[in-house]
Amino acid sequence: MPPETNATMHTMAAQAWRVTRQQLGVLLALILLIVIAHFVSDRFLTIPNLLNVVRQVAIVGILAIGQTYVILTAGIDLSVGSILGLAVVLFAGLLESHSIAVAVPLGLLAGILIGIINGIGVAYARIPAFIMTLGTLSFARGLAFIYTGGTPIPIINEDYYYVGNGYLLGMPIPSLILISTLIAGAIVLRMTPFGRCVYGIGSNEDAARLSGVPVQRYKIFVYAISGGCAALAGLVYSSQLGVGTPIAGQAYELDSIAAVVVGGTALFGGKGSVFGTFIGTLIIGVLANVLNLAGVDPFVQQLFKGGLIIIAVFIMSRNRS
Amino acid sequence: MTANAQVLLEARGISKSFDGNTVLKDADLVVRAGEIHAVVGENGAGKSTLIKILAGVYQPNQGVLLVTGDERRLHSPRDALDCGIVVIHQEFSLSPHLSAEENICLGHFPVTAIGTVDRREMRRRTLRLLERLAVNVDPAQAVGDLSVAQQQMVEIAKALSFDARVLILDEPTAVLDHDRVRTLFGVLDRLRTQGLGIVYISHHLDEVFEIADRVTVLRDGERTGQAAVSEIDHDWIVNRMIGRAFPVHHKHVRSSGKIALRLDQFSQAGVFEDISLTVREGEIVGLAGLVGARRSEIAQAIIGLTRPTGGALQVFGERVTVTNPRAAAGLGIAYVTEDRKARGLFLNRPVSENLTMANLARFFRFPFLRRAAERRFVSDMIRALDVRLASVSAEMRTLSGGNQQKCLIGAALAVEPRILILDEPTRGVDIGAKQEIYRLVERLTSDGLAILLISSEMEEILRLSDRVVVLREGRVTATLGREEASEAKIMKAAAFARGNRAA
Repeated sequence: MPPETNATMHTMAAQAWRVTRQQLGVLLALILLIVIAHFVSDRFLTIPNLLNVVRQVAIVGILAIGQTYVILTAGIDLSVGSILGLAVVLFAGLLESHSIAVAVPLGLLAGILIGIINGIGVAYARIPAFIMTLGTLSFARGLAFIYTGGTPIPIINEDYYYVGNGYLLGMPIPSLILISTLIAGAIVLRMTPFGRCVYGIGSNEDAARLSGVPVQRYKIFVYAISGGCAALAGLVYSSQLGVGTPIAGQAYELDSIAAVVVGGTALFGGKGSVFGTFIGTLIIGVLANVLNLAGVDPFVQQLFKGGLIIIAVFIMSRNRS
Repeated sequence: MTANAQVLLEARGISKSFDGNTVLKDADLVVRAGEIHAVVGENGAGKSTLIKILAGVYQPNQGVLLVTGDERRLHSPRDALDCGIVVIHQEFSLSPHLSAEENICLGHFPVTAIGTVDRREMRRRTLRLLERLAVNVDPAQAVGDLSVAQQQMVEIAKALSFDARVLILDEPTAVLDHDRVRTLFGVLDRLRTQGLGIVYISHHLDEVFEIADRVTVLRDGERTGQAAVSEIDHDWIVNRMIGRAFPVHHKHVRSSGKIALRLDQFSQAGVFEDISLTVREGEIVGLAGLVGARRSEIAQAIIGLTRPTGGALQVFGERVTVTNPRAAAGLGIAYVTEDRKARGLFLNRPVSENLTMANLARFFRFPFLRRAAERRFVSDMIRALDVRLASVSAEMRTLSGGNQQKCLIGAALAVEPRILILDEPTRGVDIGAKQEIYRLVERLTSDGLAILLISSEMEEILRLSDRVVVLREGRVTATLGREEASEAKIMKAAAFARGNRAA
């Protein structure tokens, strides 16, 4: 029956669009927020301010993309803030005596390594992700303190500083790094067998195993990706500030989880997208920005952010049922 | 059973529709005290909607509910409970870490003068309830440590503790083996004599004839028949359920294919011992036995989910060691799990992804998945399996049990297996889907697939198998050819210990 086949083909072709429709609510929320922001402060919709926003969200945005992978497998990565901190001091320390070409790959590798340790703990030792990454949260932060002896390491490197503060094609470089990570993250998730299996593992791990998905190996990949993203965020962080401080990124894991959740990815796995996470990051970033512009007390800002997270999850859980 | 016994619950002219789809049309049901009333129908016939209306989960668009003659509106399950209507679902609502007595008294604990739980009174109440059921359950034992059958009894006792007058059981035997079904029927019979009204939902017509006094048949949301069980027969029900007759079809093509799978004294210490059997191409070998015969365990060892500790596994004449399901798929062995929801399907993912998850490599050309090829495969598979759905992008959980089961088999076929292990392939699906699955399985064998069929349904084993291997407690107790296999012989080998047990 050709008509039915056609219908099948069409609906599957429409699938990419359908997922975007799922995220449409999140996107609408962002647009609404932008409109409100415009009325709150006429400085909001100016080029310098918008560039400022996209630069500010770059660090959490990159962390959140890695976090999305982990949460899609129904895991969680609490260690990303500490991995960021460890990477920051490694970049700074290595740049004292080495070139960028040496320091950057080694710093990134350190992040990936901690991620692999997380993955081994979760996949093979079957330690709950929450506990395993809570352990490495402490462990990586400890390494950062030991490495620096507790004092920040200044970075004196023009080129490195440019990465965090320069512009390319009229865009702040950190934002370009975020967008590249987003595109790469989305392509891998949507178009490769590995990405498909990430959803499968999160949706039903037993079924994935019975389907022949190499569940353990892929879980390690997922935590390695998250660790790598955290180190990349550390690169942006240290190059923006020009200093490697061991306290960098404290509590950022919570911001990354907030961005993922606001972006519509389910904490029980198998549902969500990095695009949603990107929008979620922007919502949180725009909210912070407009509250700043309106001169809202930073302490009060915390209340807004907390309220936003709860409302976002509330709306999503209602949509689901 | 008397026609003029007190009417405890009556549903009159109930209609219900969702988004314009009518799922119940003018349905009636009368539940009398001291009567077991079976409700049968295919999946999608409206049984579960009717139950949910009786339980206060849904409100009908039309029609009324009468509780002991008075019209009542049930706005919530709590309202239903207050009217003495309790539903026992297939998935129990028990807390595994609490003891049996705590579960039974949860929500209405007896308290002492100072407000703490009165444990002695709790024990007394629990024992009284269990005694009413005449079952043996340790009140102090954590529910998670009880067998499924015992948990079911705790669930029933809990219902009684709320002074249930109408007990609605949704497929209560689906989780039970043969012996436990006997025990359950004993309990239901006892409750019937105590004056409860029982609504019994089932796929198994044999059970209806065994335990029920009255039967209501639903088809496409309408009541197509209602009668005293003593006045009707199997055909009466089947005709009203399906409105079409199934030709009883037996294949008679004897296999002469190569030996595809051979187990030779295949063992796993403490689980199963000395399992020897062969499955040829184009042949179906049935693995029969009661729950606890370790049939699924053997399947899981074959596909490398667990490790055998002895014996040999041969695939097309070659001795192999399978370390994981992926390796099994590489050897051409696919396994269809008995538990499609927990271990088989990706319920919150699209149907299409479910069908291709096991063999993404087929659609992969570096670096990306080829969506067009995947789409073609999915639409071909949907057609071959005759899965009925609105869209392949629909989440798997939105499909009916029968369609889910077809998809589960389809996902296994995606790896193009030469050996297929089916574990309870028609569990929890309606009669229509069951027949379709049988035809599918028979079609697969005519394509040369070797099939190992694990089933607890005698009818299924007898209908499909070329040979039947019967297991009991991890050992082969009989191997029967198609002609010699009979229900009596299989039951005997499955249920009774014989003299040849190893010392």
